[in-house]
Amino acid sequence: MANDAVPASAGGSLGWLERLPVRRIILTVLTVVLVVVVGTGIVKTLTLSGTEHLDWSFWANLLVIGIALGAVYALIALGYTLVYGILRMINFAHGEVFMMGAFASFFFAAAYAQSGFLNTNPFAAMGVLFLTAILVSVGVAVLLERVAYRPLRNAPRLVPLITAIGASLFLQNTAQGMFGSQTRGYPRPEILEGTIKIGKVSFDKIDPVVIVTSIVVMVLLELFVKRTKTGKAMRAVAQDREIASLMGIDVDRVVVITFVIGGVLAGIAGVLYAMTFGQVGATMGFLPGIAAFTAAVLGGIGSIPGAALGGLILGVAESVGPYMLLSGLHVPSPFELKGVITFSILVLVLIFRPGGLLGTGEAEKV
Amino acid sequence: MRRIVLRTAVRAGAIAGIAVCFVSIVGLLERLAELPIIATTITMGDVLILLPAAAASWVAASPRVIAGERRSPDLSTAAVAGLVTGVTGAAIVTGALAIVSWLGVETVRRVFIAVSPELIDILRFGQSAVVGTVILVASSAVVGLAFASLRITPPDVRRPVVGGLFAIVVAALLNRVIEPAFDQLNVEKDWLYAINHGLTWVGAIVVFVLVAGAVRLHLGSKLRAILRPEPSPAGVDDGPEGSGRRDPFAGPLGRRGVTLIAWAVIALLLAVLPFLVGTVVSRILGSVGIFLLLGLGLNIVVGYAGLLDLGYVAFFAVGAYFTAILTGGQRLTAAGYQPPAFGASLPFYVALPIVVAIAALIGVLIGAPVLRLRGDYLAIVTLGFGEIARVLFGSVWLQNLFGGALGMSKITTAEIPGIPLHFQSDARHFYYLVLAFCLLAIFVSWRLQWSRIGRAWNAMREDEQVADAMGISTTRYKLLAFAIGGAVGSLGGALFAVSLGSLTIASFKILVSITALAVIILGGLGSIPGVIVGALVLIGLPGLLTQFEDYRLLIYGAVLIAIMLLRPQGLVPNVRRSRELHEDERLQDQWAEHALETESVEAPLPTGGAIE
Amino acid sequence: MLHIRTPLRVVAILSVLAIVGAACSNDDEGGGGGATGSTGAAVDCTTAEFGCVEVAAGAPIQIGTLLAIEGDTKNLGLDSQYGVRLAVDYLDGQFDATDGQILGHDVELVNENDGCNAEDGQKGATTLAANPDIVGVIGTSCSSASLGVADKIFSDKGIVTISPSATNPALTTAGTHQPYYFRTAHNDRIQAAVVADFAYGQKDAKTAVTIHDESPYTQGLTDGFKANFESQGGTVDSEEAINSADKDFKSLLEKIAQNAPDVIYAPDFNPACALIAKQKATVSGLENTLLMGSDGCSDATYTEIAGPAADGVFLSGPDLTAFSGGDFYKNDFLPAYEDQFGSKPISVFHAHAFDAFNVLAQAIEESAVQNEDGSLSIGREALKDAVQNTSDYQGVIGTITCTPDGDCATQVTIGVYEVPDVGFLDPNAKPVFTETKTLDEVA
Repeated sequence: MANDAVPASAGGSLGWLERLPVRRIILTVLTVVLVVVVGTGIVKTLTLSGTEHLDWSFWANLLVIGIALGAVYALIALGYTLVYGILRMINFAHGEVFMMGAFASFFFAAAYAQSGFLNTNPFAAMGVLFLTAILVSVGVAVLLERVAYRPLRNAPRLVPLITAIGASLFLQNTAQGMFGSQTRGYPRPEILEGTIKIGKVSFDKIDPVVIVTSIVVMVLLELFVKRTKTGKAMRAVAQDREIASLMGIDVDRVVVITFVIGGVLAGIAGVLYAMTFGQVGATMGFLPGIAAFTAAVLGGIGSIPGAALGGLILGVAESVGPYMLLSGLHVPSPFELKGVITFSILVLVLIFRPGGLLGTGEAEKV
Repeated sequence: MRRIVLRTAVRAGAIAGIAVCFVSIVGLLERLAELPIIATTITMGDVLILLPAAAASWVAASPRVIAGERRSPDLSTAAVAGLVTGVTGAAIVTGALAIVSWLGVETVRRVFIAVSPELIDILRFGQSAVVGTVILVASSAVVGLAFASLRITPPDVRRPVVGGLFAIVVAALLNRVIEPAFDQLNVEKDWLYAINHGLTWVGAIVVFVLVAGAVRLHLGSKLRAILRPEPSPAGVDDGPEGSGRRDPFAGPLGRRGVTLIAWAVIALLLAVLPFLVGTVVSRILGSVGIFLLLGLGLNIVVGYAGLLDLGYVAFFAVGAYFTAILTGGQRLTAAGYQPPAFGASLPFYVALPIVVAIAALIGVLIGAPVLRLRGDYLAIVTLGFGEIARVLFGSVWLQNLFGGALGMSKITTAEIPGIPLHFQSDARHFYYLVLAFCLLAIFVSWRLQWSRIGRAWNAMREDEQVADAMGISTTRYKLLAFAIGGAVGSLGGALFAVSLGSLTIASFKILVSITALAVIILGGLGSIPGVIVGALVLIGLPGLLTQFEDYRLLIYGAVLIAIMLLRPQGLVPNVRRSRELHEDERLQDQWAEHALETESVEAPLPTGGAIE
Repeated sequence: MLHIRTPLRVVAILSVLAIVGAACSNDDEGGGGGATGSTGAAVDCTTAEFGCVEVAAGAPIQIGTLLAIEGDTKNLGLDSQYGVRLAVDYLDGQFDATDGQILGHDVELVNENDGCNAEDGQKGATTLAANPDIVGVIGTSCSSASLGVADKIFSDKGIVTISPSATNPALTTAGTHQPYYFRTAHNDRIQAAVVADFAYGQKDAKTAVTIHDESPYTQGLTDGFKANFESQGGTVDSEEAINSADKDFKSLLEKIAQNAPDVIYAPDFNPACALIAKQKATVSGLENTLLMGSDGCSDATYTEIAGPAADGVFLSGPDLTAFSGGDFYKNDFLPAYEDQFGSKPISVFHAHAFDAFNVLAQAIEESAVQNEDGSLSIGREALKDAVQNTSDYQGVIGTITCTPDGDCATQVTIGVYEVPDVGFLDPNAKPVFTETKTLDEVA
């Protein structure tokens, strides 16, 4: 880019030191180092032998785990990407929207588990759970938009971002004050308990449910955005808010609808996540929120298929990545380094494709 | 007009009622209820119940623009509005209480754990249901009436009153600072503070009169004027190295002298503070100081250079852990204490420059990959770096260096040979160490602000592409921002390590980054006094008021939202930033004024740019 | 403007002088309890290290508690706090919900939260330590809040501290032990040994994998387990690390399943502990692998989160059925607990806390000097010595004899329970394996 080297028009002759494209050098070195390290790691891992050898079924199981995790991330990431597309802001509090829905459904879930209703009428019970979660998530999302985001729609970028961070903190601690700081166990209906084994590959019964639900939801969303009038309005607002409003589109309404959809997705994701991991807590939204946001950025924020792709890649990277890269290098306990791997992937993608994988490929203009 | 005001009154009252319900349901009310404000009569609980009504009626009685004219409600309208607000709010709370009673407290408690018979008792002022409700409604109505009427009085009346009332609450809450100070100075305090640490009635009245008087006499702005050399009436606040047009110190005779004396008083106060306020408060001041250092560093990155860094805790950790390694810190292992794989036993003051240099280097390494990223992306990537740092420092992989899960211990006490100050064991002595470093950091920040680098950052922050076109190497200045900001932050980490003497990875969570961000946002981005205020409010207050401690994060969140909505330039804004944030309004005002002056709507359109 | 400036200058100068004068006169706050032995009593408070605590006539004796009463480990902290409160009640010899007295003075508990981490531990400890009226502290709940943090802060001020549940070995090892720190909790060297004995001896496990998190408590246990397990002939294939905030351990478990060991020892805290149990069930290859945990998992959240997958997991912890004060425990203590706090015990260290308080109370009775005016002078060093010399005290948990290293429970019975017959759900549950060991017997 132009600012790597001082332009010659600055007058006088420049030494070779000033003409060095610093950034390009750093990047090239970085790329080379990474390729070498990653390559070595993978090769060595796959050639481990003896007791250290990792069977294909190991990778297959990890892949399944990664896909299921990725599906949840994708659902949450969709909420981020929709809002960003329309408003060009990151709704940092989306993780908390997700948490509130899950928590609200928890009270019903616990009651149903105790009375046995959860097991006798699992579909009816789960229907109630999803409904509650959706309603509460949507409520929180709409409230956020109305109170915290709408007044700041035309403020400099930094302002709504910080408001969102504040909202995230606020909601987390409100939940903590209202419901307590302890993690609560979230029950699962019996039909979803247990594992399915196919040969050497096994997975949790709930994983296919999660994956299928996510795919269905994403397809529906894509159809909605591409085929319906409201979807068209959303795409118009995403492209250019001012012109869209000049064309007669009620921008406020479109924004609210976007938040509603994001809330619905978050609510669904909330119940699925809570059931998969068997717990809810006031802070449960924070890390998945960041992970989902990373996924959205990875895939190209503003793009629905991008969110899905990003989620998938992130989930798989989290599961497979640490072992694939680090086992060969004999790094002890690669499991705790999965955060390092996922964020490194994010950084790398953003260096080479600042708009994300399915993004425009250009650096975002301010 | 009346109809509009009343409609606002109802809406405001409803919000006030919801606010009281919210405060109750998250448990804040019950926690704070027992804090005494005035003797045994008025507690913080009473304040919390009535404050929303007061604020709401204040807003309801505010002047409005109707048909192009700015009008204030008359007394009867305001009074009615105040009553309506109070009653509406109380009605909502009563309604909520009724629902809870109908459902049964225990049932509700299974979902909302803060709802308890004690809470209901507080909301009913300790009386039976009927009497309590009556008191609630009546007091809300009265408070509403009072504050609405107050709102329409001239500023010379209402500002002192509000200031005085606010001061009463603050004085009561800060008893842990003021009472020991009185004790140390051997001054009688029984007239001011009751046995239960609330104010006495006499004390409250005295505080009210003093502060109201001070506000009335505009002592606040006069003090500020004395502390800062006053710019000439039409001058730009450009700082000492300004446009060179005028020498700020050449004012009316003696002005310089007064300023110096004022600063000398402040300096002396700072010097003796720990012995005035005691060990516990000194420890809190120490924490404030460490966050002040973090805030100043982050201020350089976010405030000056405009780079949103959410992973600032990385530098904090670097400062702490590398100080530990270089000053003879030991890792805790199953086999007892062992030295790190690479380490040294340097004296603290020799190790410190090395630590700072390492932090600066890491700043460059972090900055390099993110040069092209803007705003939101930058935020998430720096967040990632913060997490990476935390994971790496606590990892099993690097535990031979950093102690892994068990952490490090036996970190130097940073004693200076010959000076009998025990930084690690006496919080009052540690205060001085922190103070010294804070002053250093403030000095560095201040000089940077007005230096060439600072100007380059300003240009970069305002419009990166234009700055680039003007020949400012954004690469260089961005890296510089990360490096210097990181270096300052690492100082905070180093002091943190010294204060505790041991480190565990639990102290380096993402929350530290967010807290530092909240500190500088509250105070005002790019404003050094702002960072100080921010640190005092956000770290000092919860430290002093342990009841607030549990709700610290809730308050941080609320503060961030409120500041962004109401006063994005922060509490003590940097003049330049304030202009940036209100650019549109300012330009419009300029245009309007010009139009008024020339009495013509043919006024030229205002040019952009911050020139006056 | 002149007439404003002059008074201001005068005020400024005067205030400077005032402050300087004050600072010079009142320089030292007296960090050591500041007692002066005013009635000429026999305690030499002025020369004793850390001085004395003076309790005025009619004033209560203030005892601090620093326990994990908030957050995910709140059951652990609250349970201990209830134990202390029951002890205060029992000072008069009866569980009657009215507190008793020590030497004619009421007891006032000053409660702080240790958050089960170092930072909150430091905060709480500093707050308590700054209060010159605190005679002693029962705390901390977790080793992470004690190690190098609270234990040092209290010892530096001469405040006797007795922990009911901090079990990390380093807390009472020479070199890391702080002189004023004691505990009625067992030393995890013993617990780790018992777990290893169970795995190797009872379950014929030859290979093991350990999983620890970022806290010292878990690492102390896994290190101890490894030492004991390997000394008996087993091998620990790998020692894995997790983050207590993680939710998804499946990939880790898959990795372990590649070379499935006979036992996985994961002595972590909830909810990680429960999640490991739950997710282990979904990983093929681990069907024949035992899962074991320790007292960090031992509260009701475990079964709530892990669900049916928890059955068959083995959790170690104090053997609640082996208390030498067993009859008292079953017939008096437990009903009183349920009576006053509304449920069966929510964790497993309540009796330890009860005994800790009583050890402290007895030491106060032995070392305090009753002055003629009805006040008490309690020498801090004398109090510490009294605690340290506690010998053959019959507590609920067993015979308590304190050592200079800080361990008061030198002979400990650790039980291994099989979920769902666990002590934190039913104090009368029988462990499937139990062993009594003394500190000298273990590695």
